[in-house]
Amino acid sequence: MPLQKLLKAEWSGLLLVVTLAIILIGYLKPSFLTPFNIQILLAAISVNMVIALAQMLIVGIGQMNLSVGAIGGLVAISFAGLMDVFQLPIPLAVLVGLLIGLAAGLFNGVIIAFTGISAFIITLASLSVFKGINLGITEAQPFYGVAESVKSFGNSSFIGTLPLLILPALLALIGVWFLLNRMRFGRHVLAVGASPTAAGLVGISVRNIVIGTHALSGLLAAVAGMMVVARLQIGQPTIGDDWLILSFAAPVIGGAVLAGGHVNVIGTLLGVTTIAIITQALVLFEIDPFIVQIFLGLLILWAVGINRLRDLRLTLFSKPA
Amino acid sequence: MTQENVFQEFGRKSFRTLKNCLLGTTLACLTASPVLASDTRVALVPGGPHPYFAAWEKAGQDAKRDFGLSGADYRVPQKWELSQQNQLLESLLTQGYNGFLIFPGDPVGTNSIASELTAEGTPVIALAGCLKQPTPAVFCLGTDTGNSAYLGTKELIKTLGGKGKIAHFTGFLVDPNTQLRIDAVQKAANETGGAVEVIQVIADIDAPEPAEEKINAFLAAQADKVDGIVTTAWVPAVVAANSLRKIGDKRIKMVGIDHDEVVLKAIKDGYVHGTMLQNPYGQGYIGSFAMNKLRSGCKVNQNAPFKSTALTNQFIDSGTAFVGRDKVDTYIGAMEAVTKDLMASFESTYLVCN
Repeated sequence: MPLQKLLKAEWSGLLLVVTLAIILIGYLKPSFLTPFNIQILLAAISVNMVIALAQMLIVGIGQMNLSVGAIGGLVAISFAGLMDVFQLPIPLAVLVGLLIGLAAGLFNGVIIAFTGISAFIITLASLSVFKGINLGITEAQPFYGVAESVKSFGNSSFIGTLPLLILPALLALIGVWFLLNRMRFGRHVLAVGASPTAAGLVGISVRNIVIGTHALSGLLAAVAGMMVVARLQIGQPTIGDDWLILSFAAPVIGGAVLAGGHVNVIGTLLGVTTIAIITQALVLFEIDPFIVQIFLGLLILWAVGINRLRDLRLTLFSKPA
Repeated sequence: MTQENVFQEFGRKSFRTLKNCLLGTTLACLTASPVLASDTRVALVPGGPHPYFAAWEKAGQDAKRDFGLSGADYRVPQKWELSQQNQLLESLLTQGYNGFLIFPGDPVGTNSIASELTAEGTPVIALAGCLKQPTPAVFCLGTDTGNSAYLGTKELIKTLGGKGKIAHFTGFLVDPNTQLRIDAVQKAANETGGAVEVIQVIADIDAPEPAEEKINAFLAAQADKVDGIVTTAWVPAVVAANSLRKIGDKRIKMVGIDHDEVVLKAIKDGYVHGTMLQNPYGQGYIGSFAMNKLRSGCKVNQNAPFKSTALTNQFIDSGTAFVGRDKVDTYIGAMEAVTKDLMASFESTYLVCN
């Protein structure tokens, strides 16, 4: 039965938490469920979903990408700058943006795969490189000349309150789900994450998977960067600076195992939704700005705690009888 | 055009709007001494990347030209982290910079690196934000942020007819100015005897994504309850101006800060009542001038009419001005006038030179 299947899903608990949170906040603060607020919430979820997917793929191979935000930021200012300074047509600016993201991801992947140095170290270094290029180009000044249709895309809705930004997010969501659940490349990603040695022994090219996954991560970060430009209507050099915590927290809340080998696309969507609801709730309940950080810290602890519990559960269930 | 030139053009585009003001050359005429080659090499170091500080680069270039400095370079830490700023400052010291104009990454924490720099014989001036005394910084030159926030809120209250509910959107909590701004907005509201209430303060949103998310969430929930918005940080001002335009609300009055194009256009179009201008160019230009004088043997005049703030009693106000719809096209002139006034009497007022 569909209900039994739903209850068995590992994200069913999270779905319950999200549903209860929406009901509770909606009851206490009716403005939470107004069409405008739902639109705001969905727009935030759309952008954050793509950011989280970019990190989730890397978590899938048991690595981390600290440069997700820096790639997104670099693409964001490039995308806006190309329209502003060179008056490039939008499709061409999008294409160049995607290529920059892809190239940045490949840069990470190739270095990690060929040197064997920890992804943490490589992406920490590339974060500086990408951010440095960003600042070198912009000198911390935004690009304002974003095309009107891009601005409109980031701030319009369809079928009532659905923001248009939900479309690229849905495409990314479905694409990554399909990749991980229906394609050989996706299964290899999780196999490499679970055990690179075992994956290598069964003939999987660990090197290619690492490079390919980082390239995809860069591509998704690029999409997110351009979505933020559309939403903000300017190319701010600080775009991406705040992505890191979210990018890890959402997949982990959603069921990803930081050691690799296990991620969950629907869970990540619910993780992103949970964070967006909490962020909104902090505003709606007028939490003192000096205390907001405490809530965010507790959120991360909660995410890490859930991850630890999941690890323990997996360990217990995998023990031979 | 070479590739390098293309990228320089690409990056400095936003700055072009300020380039035509000819402020530097005009101000140079106001200095009494002839331009002689100096070995002063100034580093202008903000707390992190932020559009507010971009004017420091032009200010440094103009100061270098006008006062014959060996260098006056704008150097930006990659992130808003005290450790990154400290590392950059140490690196710049080893590169031969001998005068530092610093926006403190932390009003107390930056004193430590400032002491290291002054121990090497390089003077430090706190620029745009102050260091908490006791400090080795010779003085603090910046916007009287508390006063600017206070005046901005008073302008908002005036346009609200002296009553209503207002919200305050502000910047990084680690910014030494943020608490001063929160207090100043509250003070202006308190002076109405309860007629104006600050219903919410949203802070730590001087970055695009959190600002967008939180300001929109606030407007979704409270747009019908709030009468006015005062923003005292750059990014929240931009995001709030865009949000008000998006929801098409001209009932909510807003007073912003700084001179971002988005805010200025929103003022012209009637979505924002006005903005409190600061004077980053004047800070960088006058700061570089003062640094050169200090390195040339001038001393700080201890009897100068310094102002006092919560952090220091050696504060020099670089000026602030409210710009509404009637003055939005001539705002550069307003700040030029403020800079000229300060520059004309700076040496005689704040320095003692033989």
